[in-house]
Amino acid sequence: MMIMKSIIYKEWIKIKGTFLAFLVLGLIALTIVFLRVRHDILFVDAANYWYSFLFRGSPYYMLLKYLPAVAGLGIAIAQYFPETVDKRIKLTFHLPVEENEILIMMHAFGAATIISMFLFFFLIFIAGSSLFFPSDIIIPSLISIVPWFLGGVAIYFMVSLILLEPIWLYRGLFAIIGGGFITFFYINASIGGYKPIIVSLLLLTALSSIVVLFTGYRFRKGEM
Amino acid sequence: MVKFSRYILIVIGILVASLAIPQLYWTMFEKVPVTTTVFYSCTLKDFIILGSEKTGPGGRMDPKGNNYTTAEYEKSMPLMFFRQLMADGNMPDSINGVKMEAASINRANSFFRFTPKKMLAPLPTLYPMLESESGKVNLVMPDDYFRIGSRMEFILAKTNMINEEKSVLFTNALKENGFAFPAKIISGIPTTRKSKDEGYFVTDSEESLFHIKMKKGKPYVARIETPENLGIVYIECVDLRTNEFYCYLFTGSNGIYVVMDEVYDLQRLPVEGFDPFTQTVRINCDLFNKCITVGGNYWLKSTAIDDMYEVVNTYEEKWTDKYERIDGKILSSLVPFQMSLSSPESAFINLNFLKSPGYLWIITNLIFTSLAAFILIKKGRKLKNIIIDLFLTALTGVYGCIAIFIFPNKFN
Repeated sequence: MMIMKSIIYKEWIKIKGTFLAFLVLGLIALTIVFLRVRHDILFVDAANYWYSFLFRGSPYYMLLKYLPAVAGLGIAIAQYFPETVDKRIKLTFHLPVEENEILIMMHAFGAATIISMFLFFFLIFIAGSSLFFPSDIIIPSLISIVPWFLGGVAIYFMVSLILLEPIWLYRGLFAIIGGGFITFFYINASIGGYKPIIVSLLLLTALSSIVVLFTGYRFRKGEM
Repeated sequence: MVKFSRYILIVIGILVASLAIPQLYWTMFEKVPVTTTVFYSCTLKDFIILGSEKTGPGGRMDPKGNNYTTAEYEKSMPLMFFRQLMADGNMPDSINGVKMEAASINRANSFFRFTPKKMLAPLPTLYPMLESESGKVNLVMPDDYFRIGSRMEFILAKTNMINEEKSVLFTNALKENGFAFPAKIISGIPTTRKSKDEGYFVTDSEESLFHIKMKKGKPYVARIETPENLGIVYIECVDLRTNEFYCYLFTGSNGIYVVMDEVYDLQRLPVEGFDPFTQTVRINCDLFNKCITVGGNYWLKSTAIDDMYEVVNTYEEKWTDKYERIDGKILSSLVPFQMSLSSPESAFINLNFLKSPGYLWIITNLIFTSLAAFILIKKGRKLKNIIIDLFLTALTGVYGCIAIFIFPNKFN
């Protein structure tokens, strides 16, 4: 329990700044999204605005597309880059606790932070949308933005994997596979087009939560 | 758990490779596909084929093998090129005993094209109900949108609130006609850029067909008699200036119907075996004929019908399957399958799996498996520790081989 508290404290110190920066950035982006909706509805008339969403496929939330990706990337770097400088994470692995356990704790804390931030954004998005639109517009919008947020979480997992990898060649190879995997979440699709694949993406993202253990192991075993 | 994390990475690696490698291959080596177009000539009483494997790109030919120059082609398609022919003074005064007038030719010409992507797409559930008898020349977009769930509801866009009065009015009109909520398919032309408004054609939860529109602010609902178990899967409304029919209907039993204007009779087009989930259809209508072309993966079948919907001529053509050409054969012998996230048949994103045709890839898979076994054993790995890796490579060939070496096994 003591160890867990200390780990959480240590991880929080590392990611605090980045986390708060992205939290503010996300809130600004969401504010802009809904201020724009309000402005456009006033200027082009609500019926026309709905029309362009329904029949011209022009969404109101494109500003949010890469925000989760950048946040996932930023937090992964903030959390794991310092560990790779002078191979500091080796100190952690010398603590009298099972090695995987510590890495899992660190990783779970990082993931929980990102997921709670995204859930917070998500709730604001739903609340904001329901001011202006009926469920017939909100639900397809959610289907479109869920993959972007899942992509943000997946980037966090993949970048952690890459950063902890000790050999540069493998870092490059992991980056190619990780990059290819991330593109799954950001294809240009029509509004609501992600519906059939969402469960698979959710499953793949959930499974990829533990891939960091792979490079963690390589790091510990002194793979050079 | 660490071992398991490696297999997750391998699965992701296989997925990424099976998406990227075929895509890269096709980008580099794919040959320009054949895009054949078929028209029916009312003067030749025969088809004219454009851009097939035989004619080459830009070529025109009839089924007997005669080639046509641009001038000959325009002359044989007078209803399509009437403006050009009239400008040149080459337009015949009458064809088949009918006097040729630009206005009537123009009015009768229409073109319809369907691809599965139109149907297999995230479709809206809100539509605008235009006033169809306003007495004004121009159509006007309404301020509200309707949906048909457990009842028919109109939502005012400005306030995002339900217009209760109008909703009750339309819901009751639907109920009186025996509509079983909710709606399955709603199809109309939700724009003001059309010659007139005919509202929507809607199927209910029991698959009965209804025509719903708004006349002077009041609901107009008609229940359309259809044959038993028609199983409508797709409706597309058209704006014909001839007022011949309202819409095309595709059914689960592979039929194409049109719903005749005013009388609501269902007329089946004499086309058999059309599958809207995988095939395309093009329908060219003119003063005398309709040319219906159903297109499959590597074939097309055209049927020309007269104004009584009787078949006057048919034409079929096949061309070389992508996987019978050299570029396709090479890929299908190299990889066991291809994955893709988007497909030409659907506007949805999904993990689409396509097995390589033929069995040559089995040999390639075995080569990659032996290669992997050779390298791993040479590195001093014990067979029992690499058996899962080899199994994955045998199953997924080059993809698996790439994945197991990118994420090497260092656990034993």
